[in-house]
Amino acid sequence: MRPENYQAVQLGESNEYEIFIGPNHPGIEGNYALKLVLDGDIVVKGTTDAGYLHRGFEKLMEGRLWIQNLAIVPRICVPDPAPMEVSYSLAVEEIMGIEAPIRAQWIRVMQLELSRVAAHLFTFGGHAATTGMYTPMYWGVADRDLVLDLFEDFTGGRVYSIYNIPGGVRRELPNGFLEKLSNLLDYLESRQNDYDNLLFTNQIFVQRAKGVGILSKEDALDYGVTGPNLRACGLAFDVRRDDPYLVYDQLDFDIPTQQAGDAWARILVRRDELFQSIRILRQVIEKLPTIKGPIRTPIPNPLSWNVRAGEAYARVESSKGELAYYVVSDGGDKPYRVHVRGPSSMHAVQTLEYLAKGARLEDVAQIMFSLDACPPEVDR
Amino acid sequence: MKKINYNDKGSILNPLKNLQFFARKPITEKLEPRPASASYRGFHINDMDKCIGCSSCQKICDNAAITMVEIPSIKEDAAKGIRNLRPAIDYGRCCWCALCVDICPTSAIELSREYVHVCDGDETDSYFVLPQENGIHGLNFEKGWTKTEDSDLLDRKRRPMGEMEPEERIDNFNEIVDGFTLQMAVEEASRCVDCGLCEDACPAHMHAPNYIRSIYEGNLEQAVEWMYETNPFSHVCGRVCTHICEDACSLGRADKDGNKSSQPIAIRWLKRFAMDGVSKTKIKQIAKKGMARKKSGKSIAIIGAGPAGLTTAFDLVKKGHKVTVYEALPKAGGMTRYGIPNYRLPEDRLDQDIEVIQSVGVEIKYNVRVGIDISMKQLEKDNDAVVVAIGLQNGRSTRVAGSDNKAVVKAVDLLRMIPKGDKFEVPKSAVVIGGGNVAMDIARSLARLQKQQFKKVNVTVSALEALGTTFLADDEEVKESLEEGIVILDSRGPRECVIDKTGKLESLHTVKVESIFDEQGRFAPKYDESDSQFHPCDMVVEAIGQMSDVPILGDELTEELEWNRGRMQVDENGATSVNWLWSAGDMVKGPDVINAVADGHRVANDIDKYLK
Amino acid sequence: MNDLNNKLNDILSRVNGIKITHKRNRRVRVDVPADSLTTLLELIKGQASYVHLSAITCVDWIKDNEFELVYHVWSYEENCLISAHTRIDRDEAKFVSVYDLYKPADFFERDIYEMYGVFFIGSPRMEKFILTEWHGMPPMRKDFDSEAYVQETFNWTEYNPDWLQELTDQGGGIAIKPEDIRLSGCLHNMATHRQRDKLKATQKVGKGWKS
Repeated sequence: MRPENYQAVQLGESNEYEIFIGPNHPGIEGNYALKLVLDGDIVVKGTTDAGYLHRGFEKLMEGRLWIQNLAIVPRICVPDPAPMEVSYSLAVEEIMGIEAPIRAQWIRVMQLELSRVAAHLFTFGGHAATTGMYTPMYWGVADRDLVLDLFEDFTGGRVYSIYNIPGGVRRELPNGFLEKLSNLLDYLESRQNDYDNLLFTNQIFVQRAKGVGILSKEDALDYGVTGPNLRACGLAFDVRRDDPYLVYDQLDFDIPTQQAGDAWARILVRRDELFQSIRILRQVIEKLPTIKGPIRTPIPNPLSWNVRAGEAYARVESSKGELAYYVVSDGGDKPYRVHVRGPSSMHAVQTLEYLAKGARLEDVAQIMFSLDACPPEVDR
Repeated sequence: MKKINYNDKGSILNPLKNLQFFARKPITEKLEPRPASASYRGFHINDMDKCIGCSSCQKICDNAAITMVEIPSIKEDAAKGIRNLRPAIDYGRCCWCALCVDICPTSAIELSREYVHVCDGDETDSYFVLPQENGIHGLNFEKGWTKTEDSDLLDRKRRPMGEMEPEERIDNFNEIVDGFTLQMAVEEASRCVDCGLCEDACPAHMHAPNYIRSIYEGNLEQAVEWMYETNPFSHVCGRVCTHICEDACSLGRADKDGNKSSQPIAIRWLKRFAMDGVSKTKIKQIAKKGMARKKSGKSIAIIGAGPAGLTTAFDLVKKGHKVTVYEALPKAGGMTRYGIPNYRLPEDRLDQDIEVIQSVGVEIKYNVRVGIDISMKQLEKDNDAVVVAIGLQNGRSTRVAGSDNKAVVKAVDLLRMIPKGDKFEVPKSAVVIGGGNVAMDIARSLARLQKQQFKKVNVTVSALEALGTTFLADDEEVKESLEEGIVILDSRGPRECVIDKTGKLESLHTVKVESIFDEQGRFAPKYDESDSQFHPCDMVVEAIGQMSDVPILGDELTEELEWNRGRMQVDENGATSVNWLWSAGDMVKGPDVINAVADGHRVANDIDKYLK
Repeated sequence: MNDLNNKLNDILSRVNGIKITHKRNRRVRVDVPADSLTTLLELIKGQASYVHLSAITCVDWIKDNEFELVYHVWSYEENCLISAHTRIDRDEAKFVSVYDLYKPADFFERDIYEMYGVFFIGSPRMEKFILTEWHGMPPMRKDFDSEAYVQETFNWTEYNPDWLQELTDQGGGIAIKPEDIRLSGCLHNMATHRQRDKLKATQKVGKGWKS
């Protein structure tokens, strides 16, 4: 619905009001809206209103060459674009029956984990901002920018890396890159105390987050919740470990979980995950120099590249949860169908509607952000 | 990592610890332009000299952001594969993916390390940019994303072509080149970026991108259809074409160090593959496509059944005219039959091209010598138009002392005898004068005959030009000749054919060449007379060029025609100064099959227009 | 793993007309007739722990006049993904909802309804979601040409910078627009002189952008 059509409506004789929150409310993530029916400040019913970011990516991809889609897939989720590229590439590789060289797989892992770090930093700040705390947001965005500096260094783009290509990655790492990465990790670790003081051991935030938006494990499974949101309900499931891709089965990392399933549990899981990502990145720094060899398995001339008929469902663990690309080829030079299964399509619609019911208006924005939904994954 | 438990309450004092930040120095980022990282994908830079206007960037662009713009001040050169088109970028569409950089066959287009372009609302024209070397704002920012070996999206290596080993091929005239397998042909065809530079470069403008595409799709019949739109000598050209197209191919450009690591598409071999893969019956059906329904009632006589004459005939018949071709020799094909040895062009392939041409209704009268068996006057009287396409059948002589000896022969005469089956005495040792492909043809033919008769090759080629630089023959011809045991003496000029007292040829005397052309670029070889050699031999073959057998025209006509340095003067359509007479092929255009075919089309079109 | 496969095979083989393909480790593809699909999902959810509906994908096989529906379901216990494929008639674009079994079907079925026009009987919200202001054909159907729609509906920005004006005055200017290539299929050697002559015959070339 167009924002200009938004207006508070009193519903009949009851005390209930209908209002909109979003699509540009400062406390919510990205462009989607929630239509709320309120009784006092208690939400009676919440309905997700999406479509503000619909750019028809799935349709666009059907009209573009296999390689041209590389440039648009990262745009589906701005805060965490790397899993999009990797997932698309993995799906195409599976159909073609090729695999990226081992060095490229390690580089991809590095890219994915860096992207996760950037995404989580973004979310911390955003989540804190929904409770009225703006400093963590500035810090989160500023520190994320340091990660983006690294992306700029090795992929050539700050946000949209467009670095993967079916068969591997497009460029070798620049000289001295791993050292830079190592320095960044040191810095991020040194910042842990600051973040803890400011946010994670801040009594005001802890009290604001605790008990908000409680999701039981059963409900989470029912609503198709995945990723950190699922792990915050006590199920230790992670695509990286349980449906491993690339070289994740050779990496040593824990899967942080919490039991309570509320906003506090969710942000704690993310906090711990960030440091697991740093742990993985340290292993990459150690391993990468020992792996020599190509970074790309050649693909045919992209202008006459027909991918043999077939289909593949490639799943990866993004910072938001289970991300999957279902790609179908009819043997042509363009994909026949690309379906993007974004984790947020589960979190931002039914789960959010379920959690909003009975919540207080002041908590709604926090619930939205604690689910870390990325609206373009819904709209595509 | 410090562990935080779910039940930790935290403290209200903790955030206050961060008050220490007030004591820290703030970080300030200046707003002046600074270069981005070394492989940043900034704005486009285009090296206008390296860019050839192939428009591959436009094809790969996923956002339709690239427009090809014609720049009249850039000189087009079809044979070198240079167009005056250059990409202009619409930054309202560009998404900075750099696929244009990674596909650019010549690495001309690259991205800078510049971050920002800002403009006011009424300056949106500044979003449409024709990138040049100095970047979008003329600030000469350093290069960011450039092509690396890893990021290159093109397959630079040609699929290898199998060949018979030298010891296997040297005692026979069997075809040397194996030809592609289906797999290899499809792979080779897949490398094409469909820029069409080949089509512009080809004298006959063969639709190479289209037939390469058809081969890639596995549709050989369609490929042959594309070929017959422009060339009825596709079997011949698939084997012996001078492939100007491959020199123009955007994939065959030298890299910045001048290395030719990138190889052009093997367009000639792909053509050969498609032609060999389609049956004769089918090709005949294809050749008939586009035949005029109605007969025009006009008749044309063509002298000479070589590529030029037969192409003219093929076109004119398809336009509904009656055509008779007069050929002095017992078989058609001209130089392709009587000049090109079988190991390069097997006779049955040539026969098939000619059979297809005849199948559309071209009539050929063999063993008819114009000027002897039938006069030009008669031809003029019986027909509405006449075409002379007699090629260059007579060899030129060096005219050095002793070159009138009977053991000194001309390459064309000798080459003609082999397919005709005429007997001649094979020399135990021979010296060939000349460094072009004809010299190689006769040297290699003689080598084969020597091997058959004496089990031993003894052929020396003596050429004015230097190997590796100015040498005229194709590189592969030189390579294969050397493999077959032929000795090539480059940079040597003939002085004399030494004849002994009995009148028998003894040797060829040569001297070292210092330079071939003078300062004005005219042919004026200079020799170092002190460096002289004698090459003993039983035969000297002169292969230094050919000329036309023009006396067949008769004195009266020769008088009436206009001439230019011994060549008949024609306009761009092959029309002579006499209104019923045209001339086509080698005799006006120099020796080359594809040029002859192209000439044939031009002449046929002009005649058709004239007859209407 | 083999035991597990045997157990799964046992369960799957109870479904009528099923075809099972083990695509790779953790990926099983099954093809079932449309009327067996719910039985299949009930069985694998109830008896083989496939509780997570990862996605439902619709593929428009317009040449076969069929829609393919693919249900991707995951078992957290067996760590295996079953993709259940079924096809329905394109003209009778109706299918039964699996919302009773999998709540996420609400989202996916609504999405498919909106983008392909497949109606799911029993699905709770068969209504507009993303495309509330769209009244045309369901746009993900193959017979909807989005590029043609864009060309008809929107105007491109007109540019006429000085450099282009100069080139035009010199007799050059725009030779091949991106649309010339894109709308004729990606691979056409538009840059050859033959094609450029053709282009010139059909449009005003060298006169600046869109003028």
